[in-house]
Amino acid sequence: MLLLEYHSLLIHQILTERFNGPTPATIDQVIPDFDGVIYHISTPESKTKILVSLSIKCYRDLLKYGAQDVLQREYGGLIVDPEPGYDFSLLVDLEALPEEKEQRDDLIRRVSLLKRNAMAAPFERAFDTHYHLAAESSKFTSESAPSSSDTEVMAIQYRDEEAIYIKPSHDRVTVIFSTVFREETDRVFGKVFLQEFVDARRRAIQNAPQVLYRNDPPLEIRGLPGVNDTGAGDVGYVTFVLFPRHLKPERRDEVISHIQTFRDYFHYHIKAAKAYMHSRMRKRVSDFLKYLNRAKPENAETVKERKTASGRSFKVQS
Amino acid sequence: MSIALRPYLTCVRASLTAALSLSNFASQTVERHNVPEIEAGKSPELLLNPLTISRNENERVLIEPSVNSVRVSIRIKQADEIEDILVHKFTRFLTQRAEAFFILRRKPVKGYDISFLITNFHTEAMLKHKLVDFIIHFMDEVDKEISEMKLFLNARARFVAEAFLTPFD
Amino acid sequence: MSTSQTPAVVMDNGTGYSKLGFAGNDAPSFVFPTAIATKTAAGGGGSGSGRPAVAQKPSFLTGGAGPGGHLSAKRGTEDLDFFIGDEALNAAKGPGYGIDYPIRHGQIENWDHMERFWQSSIFKYLRVEPEDHYFLLTEPPLNPPESRESTAEIMFESFNCAGLYIAVQAVLALAASWTSSKVQDRSLTGTVIDSGDGVTHVIPVAEGYVIGSSIRSIPIAGRDITYFVQSLLRDRGEPDSSLKTAESIKEEFCYVCPDIVKEFSKYDREPDKFQKYVVDQGAGRKVTVDVGYERFLAPEIFFNPEIYSSDFLTPLPEVVDGVIQSSPIDVRKGLYKNIVLSGGSTLYKDFGRRLQRDIRHLVDARIKLSEQRAGTNVRSSGLEVSVITHKRQRYGPWFGGSLLGQTPEFRSYCHTKQEYDEVGPSIVRRFALLGGPGGAA
Repeated sequence: MLLLEYHSLLIHQILTERFNGPTPATIDQVIPDFDGVIYHISTPESKTKILVSLSIKCYRDLLKYGAQDVLQREYGGLIVDPEPGYDFSLLVDLEALPEEKEQRDDLIRRVSLLKRNAMAAPFERAFDTHYHLAAESSKFTSESAPSSSDTEVMAIQYRDEEAIYIKPSHDRVTVIFSTVFREETDRVFGKVFLQEFVDARRRAIQNAPQVLYRNDPPLEIRGLPGVNDTGAGDVGYVTFVLFPRHLKPERRDEVISHIQTFRDYFHYHIKAAKAYMHSRMRKRVSDFLKYLNRAKPENAETVKERKTASGRSFKVQS
Repeated sequence: MSIALRPYLTCVRASLTAALSLSNFASQTVERHNVPEIEAGKSPELLLNPLTISRNENERVLIEPSVNSVRVSIRIKQADEIEDILVHKFTRFLTQRAEAFFILRRKPVKGYDISFLITNFHTEAMLKHKLVDFIIHFMDEVDKEISEMKLFLNARARFVAEAFLTPFD
Repeated sequence: MSTSQTPAVVMDNGTGYSKLGFAGNDAPSFVFPTAIATKTAAGGGGSGSGRPAVAQKPSFLTGGAGPGGHLSAKRGTEDLDFFIGDEALNAAKGPGYGIDYPIRHGQIENWDHMERFWQSSIFKYLRVEPEDHYFLLTEPPLNPPESRESTAEIMFESFNCAGLYIAVQAVLALAASWTSSKVQDRSLTGTVIDSGDGVTHVIPVAEGYVIGSSIRSIPIAGRDITYFVQSLLRDRGEPDSSLKTAESIKEEFCYVCPDIVKEFSKYDREPDKFQKYVVDQGAGRKVTVDVGYERFLAPEIFFNPEIYSSDFLTPLPEVVDGVIQSSPIDVRKGLYKNIVLSGGSTLYKDFGRRLQRDIRHLVDARIKLSEQRAGTNVRSSGLEVSVITHKRQRYGPWFGGSLLGQTPEFRSYCHTKQEYDEVGPSIVRRFALLGGPGGAA
């Protein structure tokens, strides 16, 4: 597996099963997802009414940036009052499913993308602001274009120690991930990986977003609450600069989905690389052991084997 | 074996072969004990002069002979932070399996990455020149392994970065 | 740390199936075969031995030994190109992939494959960041400590998981039985009968510790019952006697009867005991298979193995009795009182009841004999024999793990990443007994 999926596999699986299963059954499952997201899928009232609830760390941040509208647009009539302890709830009624298979599949897909859609709100807002600013600035000549620094930077504290910052302007949208490594190996590996992210554009994929990596807060977010420039260098900042070609409306959904998975993708591959190193080292160790065992003299002289008349072999005791 | 490394390894081989003349020697300090004197360090008269073979400031071998045991410590080349981590990971992985390696010391001597302890019992049970072969082979392979792992890491990082950025294209 | 409220991940990797899920849920989220499909070297003659794929050297060194020109082959990313579980079985049907089972006889044999199996389990299926979660893994009884250490090495060094607990499957199965209404005191003493697909174990556990010397295994388990059903179908010349049909008949119709002779005559009297099973052979063809005596005969091989096997002849109740008799005398009472079933092959109707009756007969007979021998009027107060059946039997160990993993004190029993970094892998040689009396060690 190279890229991570955008949706929750388990929700997808449970809903597919329920939608096509002949008999309704009770469900009560807690399903975590990346970044401390927790889903709760249950059938509290009757077996045909499936309640899907979402708990997400930064829900308050997301609300501030219009999550309500995005979710309303995506889920509309499914939305119910949030279950206690959770931020957002959907109710899927198995008795009121759409008839056609495609629509059902679409519903399953949409519900399993709940986390993605909730997180998409600030990105969508940034994209919209960018369209707006771009339209504004096209009225001006390049000299008189308004400086782009006065737009709001949206901060989403999606993990306890890490956040995403999004800043739209007339010619770009800047997305900054702050990253923290708890372990030395990860930090070193992470640095190698990030260096390649930075270089990829220069080397291979000219049209990719520009990626920057630094150990102190970039200019865009300096002075924001929560951004502390300790100078210790334990927090890294990865900046993605999305250019208008990435921001085209028709590609918007894909780009938003994709960039959201950055952190988990990144960490997944660090771990996969470590797993691969382990298997290399295991191989090496067994090689070394083979070499060392050659030093044992009893291995050199093979135990004499003799055969009886009937063809059976036996070993000669020394 | 690469050409550049050969004089260094030849030198280690010669010194190690010379050092590995061990005999059974019961402890002088504790009755009915038989300990590797180089580790015990209780009787200075049983220890020989330690020897350092150094290729450069990053690569060196310390051979500490004594009457019944030799301690060989290796400092593996570490040019940068990545190699440092890789060496650390690799030696840790090895020492974790020290049980199977007979002569591997569970902890390296200070200032070195990995240490071996060869006693007279090892040289009695195993062929001496093959033991030396093993150490040389180890030193040769470990450098290769570290640089291969580093290459792998870079290649993987590049691949991963491009795979992530391609969908934007 | 952000791990404050995330549920623990519970993974029970068995020889046949892996059960993955989260603590607090009443069923595992994923159950799939513990299988991994990896790229086989092109033209390498397939997988002759047990381990294909991993060549002499990692293949990127040899300059792209994979099917030539492939992007991933050139970049040395074969280690990402694999499937696990059901997807692995599917992939292995096509060309290019070879299938492997990293666990043999309950123990992990191929660590490379297991590591990748876990990697995919965590990131693709469970979708969690291991740094944020505690993990509860299971191990078979008598698992060598080195195996634990290797597990810890992978979990902590590769995945940086926040905390780890490794529990013995049998102990978790005991914990799972706490959900039964028959269990009053939550003790961790009892005899676990764990019958999966390949082998059946009888494991005595005293206060959370497995009595290793008394464990017995029986070479009769789910697969044998399926074979037995199949042979019965074949003997009768049913139109469809495939393994799959036999398996579904076993799962759907089989039960345990109190007495075979009586059951035979009952079938003679009541023809509606015979059932029909419709097999859909695909392409619209359907055949009907009669289901007769195999309904009660198949599970009977646990109680009368001679009808199936010629080299293993001890009935299950006698094995259980023997196991308990070979355990230390002071725990035997507790072992008889709490015989817990676990695994798919213990799910037959009335299995527990029959087992309980048979064991009680053995025990009573022995007590009677010793009373006679004593000669005097001393009367034994009897011995309680009780077999516990409960709803979570099928995934007993997993459920026990889920139950214990959600307790508030679970985390204090785990070894954390910090502790591991300080002490090293040997830290997992000892775990405080989870759910046992006394609390933290």
